[in-house]
Amino acid sequence: MPDRIEILLVDDSPEDVELTIRELRRHKLANHIQVAEDGAEALDFLFCRGSHQCRSFDHPPKLVLLDLKLPKVDGLEVLRAMRADERTKAIPVVILTSSKEQKDVVEGYHLGVNAYAQKPVDFDQFSKTIREIGMFWMVINQAPPAETFLASKAQGA
Amino acid sequence: MTSSSKAIAACALIILLCIGTLSFWGTVQDAKDREWVTHTLLVVEKLQAVRIDITQAETGQRGYMLTGQDRYLELYGAGLNQVRQDMKELPDLTLDNPGEQEATRRLEPLVAARLAELADGIEVRKRSGLLAGVEAVAKGNIGERSMHQIAIQIGEMRQTEAQLLGKRLETAAASTRKMKAVIVCGNALAVLILLAAGFVIHWETGRRGLAEQDLKQANERLERRTAELSETNIELESFAYSVAHDLRAPLRHIAGYSNVVLQDYGPKLDGEGRRYLEKIGDGAQKMGRLVDELLNLSRIGRQELSLHDTSLDKLVRHVVEDLAPECSGREIEWRIGGLSSAECDPVLMKQVFVNLLSNAVKYTRKRERAVIEVGETMQNGVPVIFARDNGVGFEMQYAGKLFGVFQRLHKAPDFEGTGVGLAIVQRIIRKHGGRIWAEAEINKGATFFFTLGSPENNTGTKPELAIRNEVMHAGQN
Repeated sequence: MPDRIEILLVDDSPEDVELTIRELRRHKLANHIQVAEDGAEALDFLFCRGSHQCRSFDHPPKLVLLDLKLPKVDGLEVLRAMRADERTKAIPVVILTSSKEQKDVVEGYHLGVNAYAQKPVDFDQFSKTIREIGMFWMVINQAPPAETFLASKAQGA
Repeated sequence: MTSSSKAIAACALIILLCIGTLSFWGTVQDAKDREWVTHTLLVVEKLQAVRIDITQAETGQRGYMLTGQDRYLELYGAGLNQVRQDMKELPDLTLDNPGEQEATRRLEPLVAARLAELADGIEVRKRSGLLAGVEAVAKGNIGERSMHQIAIQIGEMRQTEAQLLGKRLETAAASTRKMKAVIVCGNALAVLILLAAGFVIHWETGRRGLAEQDLKQANERLERRTAELSETNIELESFAYSVAHDLRAPLRHIAGYSNVVLQDYGPKLDGEGRRYLEKIGDGAQKMGRLVDELLNLSRIGRQELSLHDTSLDKLVRHVVEDLAPECSGREIEWRIGGLSSAECDPVLMKQVFVNLLSNAVKYTRKRERAVIEVGETMQNGVPVIFARDNGVGFEMQYAGKLFGVFQRLHKAPDFEGTGVGLAIVQRIIRKHGGRIWAEAEINKGATFFFTLGSPENNTGTKPELAIRNEVMHAGQN
C-alpha cells in the first residue's frame, strides 16, 4: 500500500510548487506530498477517479493546500465540490494564493474553507508562512480520524 | 423674467397708475367745474326771479289800485314776500364773487326803493280811494325809472355772471381737453411700453430656448463623456490590478530561488557571489513592495466609502500607538489636539494618518528630539487638519511632485520609501471630496494640510481621472 499522502498541493506554478515543497521538506513537515497542476486533476485525486482510480476514500490527505487561479477548474470550484460530498467534506483545506481580493476571501469562507493565506512575495515571509501552515496543520492540528470518512463511505456512491 | 423686462413692466404699471390718478382727479375737477356752471346759472335765475317777482308785486299793486279787490292785494303780498325772499337769497349766491357781492349790495336799495314805492301806492288807494289810485297808476314814471334802474343793475349783474359762466365753461373745456390728452398719450405710452415688454420677453424667451438647447446638448455630451470615462476607468483599474497581481508570482520566484541558491550553495560561493545573489533577492523584494503598494492604491480607488462619524482624536492616538515599534529608541514629542469628529471612512482615514505620521517619524530621524504635531485649524471658514514635523522638510519648488506616484524628493539611501504613500493619502482625501497640500522648509520641517469635503457617492457617476494620471506618472518615472 502506498504511503498515505499527507498533503495535496494544488498549484499550477511549478516554481511555487518547488519552493513550497522545499520549505516543507526542510522543516520535515511532510514526506508525502501530491501535486495537482489544475483543478480537474485535484478533483480526480480527491474523488478517486481518472488516473487516481486506485485510491481509496478511506485515506484522504491530511491537508489540501489550494491555489485559486487554476486552469480547467479553479480553486473555489474544487472547494465547492469537496464540501458538497460527504466523503470529502471533512478534509482540511487551506487556500494559499497570491490574491487577497475580498471577494475571494468571502467566497472561500462561505464555501467552508478552514483557512486563507496569501503567498508573500518576500522570500523570508514566504518561508515563514509555509513553515507555520505546515507546523499547525501537520503537527498541532488533530486531523480528522479515519472514522470520519469510514462512516460516510456507507452512504457514498 | 429678467430684470429688464421687470423694469419695463414696472414702468408700464407706474404710467397706468399715473393715468388712473389723473383721470380720477380730472373727474373731480370736472364735477367742480359743473358745480360752478350750475352756480352761475342759479345766480342768473335768481336775478331773473327778482324781476319777475317785482313785476308780480307791481301787477298786484296796480290791480288793487285799479279795482280795490283783495285778490290783487294778495297777489301784491305774495309778490312782495317773494321779492324779499329772493333778495335774502341773492347775497349767499354771490358770495364767491366780491364784485357780484358789491353789485348785490347796490341792488338792494334799488329794490327796497321800488317796493317802498309800491307800498306807497297801496297806501294811497287804501286811504284815498279809487280815483286817487287810478291817478297814481297813470302817473307811473317814478315806478318806471326805479324799475329801469333795477333792470340796469340786474342786467349788469347778469352780464357779469354770463362772463363768469363763459370763463368757467372755457376752463372746464380746457381741463377736459388736457385730461383727454393726458389719458390718450398716457395710454398710448403704456401700450407702447407693454409692446416693448412683450418684445423683450419674446426675445429673451427665444434666447433662453437656445440656451436650454445648448445646455441639453452639453449635458448629453457630458453624460456620454462620463460614461466613457467610467468605462475607461474601470478598465484601467482592472488592468492595474491584474498587472500587479500577475507580477507577484515571478517576483516571488526570483526572490525565492536566489535565496534558495544562497542557502544551499552559499558556502560554495565567495563573498562577491553571495553579494550578487543578495542584490537579486533585494531587487525582487523591493519590486514586490512596490507592486503591493500599487495594488493598494488601485484598491482604494475602487472601494466605496463607508462613512461613519469618527473621532479623529481617537483615531490619531491609535495610529500613534501602532507606530510605537518604529519609534522605539527615539525621542518623539507627540502633540495631538483640537481634532473634532468628522464624517469619514475610518479605515481609510486611519491609512491617511498612518502614512502621514510614519512619514513624519521617518523624516525626523536625524533630529535628536522630534516634534510631531497633529491638529485642526480654520482657514476661510473651513476646518483644516494638519500634521507637522520638525524633520528635514523638502524644497517648496518641488511641492507639486509630492503626491505623484513613485515621486520622491529624497534619495533612496537617505530615506527609504516607495513613493506611493502620499499618492494613497491624496487618493483617500480626494475620495472624501477634500483637498491636500503641503508646506515645508529645508531642515525646518514639513506640514501637511487637508480638508474633508462632502464625500462622493460612489455610484460610478463621477469619473476619477486620478488613477489614470497616477499610472501615467508611473510610466514617466
